Amino acid sequence: MRNKTFTAAALLVAATMTLSACGSGDDSKKPVAVVSEDTSRKAATVLDKPFEKPDLVLTDTHGKKYDLRKETAGHPTLVYFGYTHCPDVCPLTMNNIAVAVKDLPKAERDDLRVVFVTTDPARDTPAELGKWLKMINSEFIGLTGDFATIQAGARTLGISIEPTAKDKNGKLVSYHGTQVVAFSPKTDAGYVLYGEDATVDDYTKDLPEIVKGETP
Amino acid sequence: MAAALAGTALLTGCGGSSGSGGAKAELSVHSAYIPQPVSDSMAAGFLTIENKGGTADKLTSVTSADAGEVTVHRTVGGAMREADSLTVPAHGRLVLESGGDHLMFDKLEHRLRQGRTVTVELHFARSGGLKVEMPVKAATYNPEHGH
Repeated sequence: MRNKTFTAAALLVAATMTLSACGSGDDSKKPVAVVSEDTSRKAATVLDKPFEKPDLVLTDTHGKKYDLRKETAGHPTLVYFGYTHCPDVCPLTMNNIAVAVKDLPKAERDDLRVVFVTTDPARDTPAELGKWLKMINSEFIGLTGDFATIQAGARTLGISIEPTAKDKNGKLVSYHGTQVVAFSPKTDAGYVLYGEDATVDDYTKDLPEIVKGETP
Repeated sequence: MAAALAGTALLTGCGGSSGSGGAKAELSVHSAYIPQPVSDSMAAGFLTIENKGGTADKLTSVTSADAGEVTVHRTVGGAMREADSLTVPAHGRLVLESGGDHLMFDKLEHRLRQGRTVTVELHFARSGGLKVEMPVKAATYNPEHGH
């Protein structure tokens, strides 16, 4: 098996950059930073220095306290930071995962935790989050709470988000993370990252490995 | 709705083509689609505008009978910002694609289901209006793979 392992530093550079908006040509689909000589396209980035699972205690879609570390300990877990007023990348990312999850055997599906943490807690109340996630997969976990707590948790995963703010036209602008972090059931560490160009096929191929804590 | 501002037709933007050559912009649209949205009031739309002409144009606003509001968004640093206008370079193209710039439909009349079509009118600074039929595709539709 051939694995790509990058240093966390190089990875962070790649992961926290988003596509520049100079909207021309097809090459905007290419990665922003090329960090490997391996030119075969692979969605998964395997970390040689895994992330610790963030110590996040938030509120779930039922309005109950949810301690991320406690609730997901020993379970394969995917974590994504986004918001429901996001028309493009956030629903696409969650839908891609939802379609791939359907292909897992039931026992593994039940074992997997897919956690969507809102970056826009003022608009994403537990009820709003629940309504939105139910359209994607009613088993997915939605978390909301204090923005500063969420931002600090995201930062420990190299994900940079800003609070929702009004633009010059008075419209609310929110931020989403640019990667999904997969945590191993064996170590509870975040060991694989997926960028926003990861497809249904990528997740379908990799999830059977991820649920076992193996390297995709 | 984005205002049709910018009195000057000076080209900025990333394309860098300076609009010499052909007399005017010749625009056509392809690869238009809307992924079936999760939200019942909001959706994103994607398309490519080709310009075979020697003069650049600007997409200044978008309207649709199916949505109370359509805006053109640029994605910068993980956030979407409303754009005043986007340039379609001479002999070039403007690509609105997932993860990048896109149309944002707000105040939809009803939730868009796969198989439906949404008619939008693109408004350009020079070329006037252009009607486009945008099919609603699967939520996970990927134009690179065609599914």
